[in-house]
Amino acid sequence: MADTAFAENEAKSPEPGALAPPGRIEGGFAVDPTRRLAALAGHATFAATERGDDRAALVAMQVAPGAPPRAQALSLLAVTSLERVMGPLGQGAAPDAAGQPAWFVVCRVPPGPALWPANAPAPRPWSDAELLDCLLRPVAAALETLQARHVTHRAIRPDNLFRPAQGEPVTLGPAWAAPPASFQPVLFEPPYAALCHKAGRGEGSIADDVYALGVTMIVLATGRLPMAGLSEAEIIRRKVDLGSYAALTAETRLSPAIADLVRGMLAEDPDHRPTPALLSDPDAARARRVASRPPHRAQRALEHGDMVIWTARMLALALAGDPEEAARLLRTGVVDRWLRRSLGDSALAARIEEACRQRNSEAEADNPRADGVLVARAVALLDPLAPLCWRGVALWPDGLGALLADAAGDAQRLAVLRDLVESEAIGVWAAARPERCDVMVLRADAQHHHSLLRLRGWAGGLSRLTYALNPLLACRSPRLGAGMVVRLADLLPALEAVAAPHAAATPPLPAPLDAPPIDPEIAAFLAARLEQRIERDLALIADPADRDRAARAQLRLLAWLQRRTRAPALPALAAWLAAHLRPGLANWRGRKRREMLEKTTGELVRTGQLPALLALLDDPQARAQDQADAQAADEAVRAIDAELQRILEARSARAALARRVGREIALSAALVALAIAAVAAAMA
Amino acid sequence: MTEVPAKTAPAKAPAEAAGSRLWLGGLACGAGVVLAAPSMVLAAVLLLPSLLAFVADRDPGRAAARSVAVFGIAFALAPALALWRGGGGMDACLDVLSNFTALPLAWSAQAGGWLLSELAPLLVRLALDAHAAARTRRLRALRRRYEEDWGIPPA
Repeated sequence: MADTAFAENEAKSPEPGALAPPGRIEGGFAVDPTRRLAALAGHATFAATERGDDRAALVAMQVAPGAPPRAQALSLLAVTSLERVMGPLGQGAAPDAAGQPAWFVVCRVPPGPALWPANAPAPRPWSDAELLDCLLRPVAAALETLQARHVTHRAIRPDNLFRPAQGEPVTLGPAWAAPPASFQPVLFEPPYAALCHKAGRGEGSIADDVYALGVTMIVLATGRLPMAGLSEAEIIRRKVDLGSYAALTAETRLSPAIADLVRGMLAEDPDHRPTPALLSDPDAARARRVASRPPHRAQRALEHGDMVIWTARMLALALAGDPEEAARLLRTGVVDRWLRRSLGDSALAARIEEACRQRNSEAEADNPRADGVLVARAVALLDPLAPLCWRGVALWPDGLGALLADAAGDAQRLAVLRDLVESEAIGVWAAARPERCDVMVLRADAQHHHSLLRLRGWAGGLSRLTYALNPLLACRSPRLGAGMVVRLADLLPALEAVAAPHAAATPPLPAPLDAPPIDPEIAAFLAARLEQRIERDLALIADPADRDRAARAQLRLLAWLQRRTRAPALPALAAWLAAHLRPGLANWRGRKRREMLEKTTGELVRTGQLPALLALLDDPQARAQDQADAQAADEAVRAIDAELQRILEARSARAALARRVGREIALSAALVALAIAAVAAAMA
Repeated sequence: MTEVPAKTAPAKAPAEAAGSRLWLGGLACGAGVVLAAPSMVLAAVLLLPSLLAFVADRDPGRAAARSVAVFGIAFALAPALALWRGGGGMDACLDVLSNFTALPLAWSAQAGGWLLSELAPLLVRLALDAHAAARTRRLRALRRRYEEDWGIPPA
């Protein structure tokens, strides 16, 4: 029945002839791009099967570019079977409906239709018993299982909860193929997560799932969405101003049993929300009452734009939303005066004043970064529950990676995030709310992020940081074309595929082969994915002064990668590299050695073995020998030149010698004649 | 007490030495003319080309003139013996000089000596130049090989 129910949602498939054949991905799953299914958890979805079991009904959710899947959750959950959770079974690259490589996360087909599918008419209100038995208890059990594995769900909402039939317990839908809570509507998120950019909400805690479950219970109990028609900003403002429970139940009445449960689940402080274990026993959860002090209201409101501020929490929200005006208000003392005189919180006012004084002493007046630090610190002081608010962007620190991935191509947002990392604002924010986080860990993280950004050349910068924080983000190098490179092992086959159509090309090479394979984006990807340090080689690659050394550094990296990933022969990539290495052969002085290298390079290119090519062309001993031989040749030529010069200059000396020797020869002949004459005379 | 270096006699100037030799030569000639006039006449006539060669040869050491003189002496020995066997008088001297063979032979020998002393340097120079040219050719060929093998720019 479950399969039938989901099959009803199958979308109309495109023309079969235009589609790629089913592609196999890791774990033996096959994605059938010709069978498109209804969107699931916000993702385009295709039918999938498991090797050896073609009847197993599976779905493959396509990962959107720039929104990497949750690496930690996937690695922690892939090996275990979860009760009442559509856990991930596998992941990998396969052709999508257009035949382009895409990344898919595979899980089982939902057990039935969603509780309230998107764009569907409102469901009937659920009874208390149904809410407790079919929703609360099974979801609490599922959350308890996830919590035991240190994983959050962050996608609990009516269109991502499934059940086979009325009266059956629900199953949590998938939430692994995109950054946490990135598809979650503001209504279902705690205000401090909803405030964040969708990509920057971070993994959060299981208490955030409890909050989403509480909102879902209200929706199902009433059969309608609270605060429908309001903008996201207005929903957040009401939740912060009135409190989540009051804002969400303002227009409705819940039964006392559900109201008691939901009130606890929607507590503003995550520490005050009941745990999943406690929710498994609704009676115990109802009995648990955590006394939380309502926010202190000021005697006189502070008006800021269209906001009327009565509490420190609202003030924090207002400052976060308008950072430039916030800096002005803070520096002119408006904020601390209001805190001291109207709110009557002189301790908080003193801390804000201290933050302002620190800012003024550390930087000049018109320093936007210093203003950003001041506002981030002030928001954290005013509302320790709030996320890091940095120059108009709110995020949880563990959401920085996904936020960077999402901001690709958005220069303005990237500049803000770069500023955030350079300022180590995460450390500043953590230090302002030490009771809410591990300051040492966050400060160390911020320093580490900054150090990656500071690295010179292609090994550092925002790209490196982005890949380092997103283990499953596909490499965005334009050199790879449509290739899908998520893991190290994917890189060489992708480069081989790029080079293969031009394998027979001769110089001048066509694009993209006219430049060496590793570009700044691939370099950042490699630096982030490799465990060992390759900064030296990347610095060589980025050096425009010595192209030969750069090409050899490229070969060194790729050869190492081929050996490590045990990649098969790569003749096209070898030819690509060889084309950029050949000009460097001219640096070998010995003609015979050079001719041998050219000949052997051609042979090794055909074998596609980069390590062998590296051993040939990057042999320091052979290079030193060549240099030594060349030096000897230079010296020999210098000696020849000197001797030729000597011969040229010895002409007059030779003439003098010839004259002297000639005369001596004549004298000797005369003496011989004299001796003969004397002997003849004596005999006569 | 300080050690005073011994004074060395100043070397005679070459011109002064040559003058002394000339003076001694003149004295010997004068003595020869007085004591053995016929022999001196015979020697003067037979060795006339050598005397001219000594006058004409301006080279230091006068190697060519020396060769001419030695050749002259070699061919003057036989007429001198004939003079001394004939009593050593002026008559015997004239007899020897009137002999058609002695004078032309002595002068021809001295001319040959002069020719040899002029030709021998020329031949030696030709041999030395040929040897240098062959060595240059060999060195240039070797250099060309180095240029091709090691990319060395031509001279």
